[in-house]
Amino acid sequence: MNAHTELRHARPDARSVADVVSRLCADFGERASTARAARDAHSHGEGMADAALPDVVVFPQTTEEVAAIVRLAHAARVPVIPFGVGTSLEGHVAALYGGVSIDLSRMNRIIEVNAEDLDCRVEAGLTREALNAGLKGSGLFFPIDPGADATIGGMASTRASGTNAVRYGTMRENVLGLTVVTADGRIIHTGGRARKSSAGYDLTRLFVGAEGTLGVITEVQLRLYGVPEAISAAVCQFADLEGAVNTVISAMQQGIPVARIELLDAMQMRACINYSKLEGFIEAPTLFFEFHGSAAGVAEQAEAMQAITAEFGGSAFEWATRPEDRTRLWKARHAAYYASMALAPGKQGFATDACVPISRLADCILETRADIDATGLVASIVGHVGDGNFHVVLFDPDDPAEREKAEGFTQRTSLRAIAMGGTCTGEHGVGVHKLAALVAEHGEAVDVMRAIKRALDPHDIMNPGKTVPM
Amino acid sequence: MLDPIVHADLAAILPASAFLTAEEDTRPYECDALTMFRELPAAVALPDTESQVAAILARCHAARVPVVARGAGTGLSGGALPHHDGVLLSLAKFRRIVVIDPLTRTAVVQPGVRNAMITEAVAPHGLYYAPDPSSQIACTIGGNVAENSGGVHCLKYGLTVHNVRRVRGVLTSGEIVEFGGDALDGPGYDLLALIHGSEGMLAVITEITVKLTPKPQAAQVALAAFDDVTKAGNAVAAVIGAGIVPAGLEMMDQAATRAVEEFVQAGYPLDAKAVLLVEADGTPEEVAADMADIRTVLADAGATQIRVSKDEAQRLLYWSGRKAAFPAVGRLTPDYCCMDGTIPRKALADVLQRIEELSRKHGLRCANVFHAGDGNLHPLIFFDANVEGETERAAAFGAAIGELCIEVGGTITGEHGVGVEKLAQMCVQFRPAELECFLGIKAVFDPHGLLNPGKGVPTLHRCAEFGKMFVHHGRLPHPEIPRF
Repeated sequence: MNAHTELRHARPDARSVADVVSRLCADFGERASTARAARDAHSHGEGMADAALPDVVVFPQTTEEVAAIVRLAHAARVPVIPFGVGTSLEGHVAALYGGVSIDLSRMNRIIEVNAEDLDCRVEAGLTREALNAGLKGSGLFFPIDPGADATIGGMASTRASGTNAVRYGTMRENVLGLTVVTADGRIIHTGGRARKSSAGYDLTRLFVGAEGTLGVITEVQLRLYGVPEAISAAVCQFADLEGAVNTVISAMQQGIPVARIELLDAMQMRACINYSKLEGFIEAPTLFFEFHGSAAGVAEQAEAMQAITAEFGGSAFEWATRPEDRTRLWKARHAAYYASMALAPGKQGFATDACVPISRLADCILETRADIDATGLVASIVGHVGDGNFHVVLFDPDDPAEREKAEGFTQRTSLRAIAMGGTCTGEHGVGVHKLAALVAEHGEAVDVMRAIKRALDPHDIMNPGKTVPM
Repeated sequence: MLDPIVHADLAAILPASAFLTAEEDTRPYECDALTMFRELPAAVALPDTESQVAAILARCHAARVPVVARGAGTGLSGGALPHHDGVLLSLAKFRRIVVIDPLTRTAVVQPGVRNAMITEAVAPHGLYYAPDPSSQIACTIGGNVAENSGGVHCLKYGLTVHNVRRVRGVLTSGEIVEFGGDALDGPGYDLLALIHGSEGMLAVITEITVKLTPKPQAAQVALAAFDDVTKAGNAVAAVIGAGIVPAGLEMMDQAATRAVEEFVQAGYPLDAKAVLLVEADGTPEEVAADMADIRTVLADAGATQIRVSKDEAQRLLYWSGRKAAFPAVGRLTPDYCCMDGTIPRKALADVLQRIEELSRKHGLRCANVFHAGDGNLHPLIFFDANVEGETERAAAFGAAIGELCIEVGGTITGEHGVGVEKLAQMCVQFRPAELECFLGIKAVFDPHGLLNPGKGVPTLHRCAEFGKMFVHHGRLPHPEIPRF
């Protein structure tokens, strides 16, 4: 919906594509598909409708197979688009120029777990919930939680964060190493088991967040954490949005190590109450908290937090200490996107992803809310506000006039965040939707990014048209 | 010698006192803390504005003159070793703390600001800058970014890369760029991470926004003695494996504790084969809870003695020994070199055992003092450069330790960087496809190879040469590289 950059990249010539497709079908048998249904399923994520069909979908089972696919595509100059489970919100997986969609979902093994080192190595197609299920009983868990049950490879590629980034960081802090298939089909290993390394440039973090435009991630070495001794969750409701936001700012400034703080505005609460059948809450700005630590530490954090909420007019804490109550609460938060969509049945939803320095959070959220109200759009605000990151969920209207309003609003939200020293994408990535905003934010640094893309993928076959405007 | 026209142009950019070419003026810049390597630069430039830096780089770029950036010269891997035909660009005059913003908990500082000065300046706001390399009173924040420095507290608070929000710098062309931003995470490639640990080979840093951390209300350190190095190594893995994240987790072997005790009298038990220091910080309740867990784990791991600091004075006393380890060792041996391999923690006990064997094999003493929680080893190899052949033996011993670290899945350098010291081991740790990625990135930023040439990343040619020199057991490393 943002003004896409011009399609610089021409489609590969039809004969090269046909050759690659027939080779892949021959080599991979039933693990390669040109069926319309398979291509459809791999033409889009969960964001706005901007589907673009790949010519073929392949389901490799090993890194070597991925390398073989990429070598073939590289020789024929045919695009390669890595695909996890398609939960991306920014159009990362659409095959803008056709080509080969590499579905990594069959590479879903936990390769090793090193309890003493608090790390593990997994294949890229493993989902985070499957990883945590596999870790059950080990006393360890992987905390990064973007809501959707995304694959680890997809989360690494989009540098995902989530509701508990305040305590555990994002994928940037939690990926220790990678196995990557480069644009010419070679296999490289970056980082590793060591906790830190200053040998060579930081390729790990370069591929994390590169959205598949520099290579295909096939294995990920992850940091794990001990399951906290005590966890408790609480909900606090506010008379106005300002009180809720100021509570967050104050908590961050005091350095209270809250594991999660989530803000839901009144509209979002209405959606969640209806969709997730949350009882005992009103349609008012709300904060969800979760505290992790020792029993004493958790009690102490909660007490400090209550003192702050009281100061800003928050209600008494509604506690959820039983695991099932907590799960119900966070399920409701994670379903926020779907809940919002239920406010406008039949319409496509999409979410912005602004992130600002914590000192500008109140200004940014209040101005954004006022902007929504002025446009008359139906939209809700929800976010991991502890790190300054929030989303506005809007709908893709059929009415062209309204659609224009929505587009204008989205643009303003990105630019407002950038003007406040923030970013247009806290965690969803650039994909195709935010290419223009990237240039606004980074200026000259975009030239450097473009040069890196050219150096590592000279023929522009790796997920072309995404992340960095070429 | 610089070309006279280039010389005149550079001299016109800077006042006479800030552009040095006489040997007595350039001599102090001939090496960093890796004193084994020395070289006089053609000139030393001491700019104090970003536009001067940009002008110098642009002029050197046009004339294809190499430029080596330097902070305080405390680097341990020769990253600031000058280039004979190049300009040594000192950032020593960039000493201003530009902004302190307690609200966002950040500070904007110039690269020549010393690490410890940031903490001093922000202390009135109850904040500090977390990464604390042992040289923090001298080393500069610009050098910390260039090397991605760690320190005792990075186990809990992260390395430099985790504590910097934004870096402003100048490319070799003289163009000014900014990486990162004030928000937590930005879109596009992670150039901010790329600049960390790039050893002055991608850009010259002129301004840094650092993250500040609230000072913990309380901190306590436990000192545990072990009668066996292997038990101490296993205790480290046990602490981490128990899910405890100590603020610091350091280990010293007997050679190190004895050297230290003579020097600072920190009260370390001298009969112990190894000593662990384990720190907990946070609110008083958290510290008490963590300390109770730490005691239990250490006792179960076979500690012969556990002492917990009773007050701040005692805590600082226990740490004084660790912080003084390097100068203490310096008193015992004419020369020493400090290695920096990092390994998975699980392998600690095994690797320490094998370092001891290597020490016997090479006939050189070695003291171990290191960031055990990160698995970052700092074996200090004792030698005497005046004894024929000892320098070479020390280098061979060091290289063997580096390769041992790679063998167990680790890296040759955790925090000191590659510089000139570990170029050869880079060929062992990385394969050609990976080295080509590094070289491709280098070429993006610096196509003519003018920024800090000959450091950090070896050329494939050099690795091939290295392979020729070290053929082990008839096996040729990297048979896939074209040979000459």
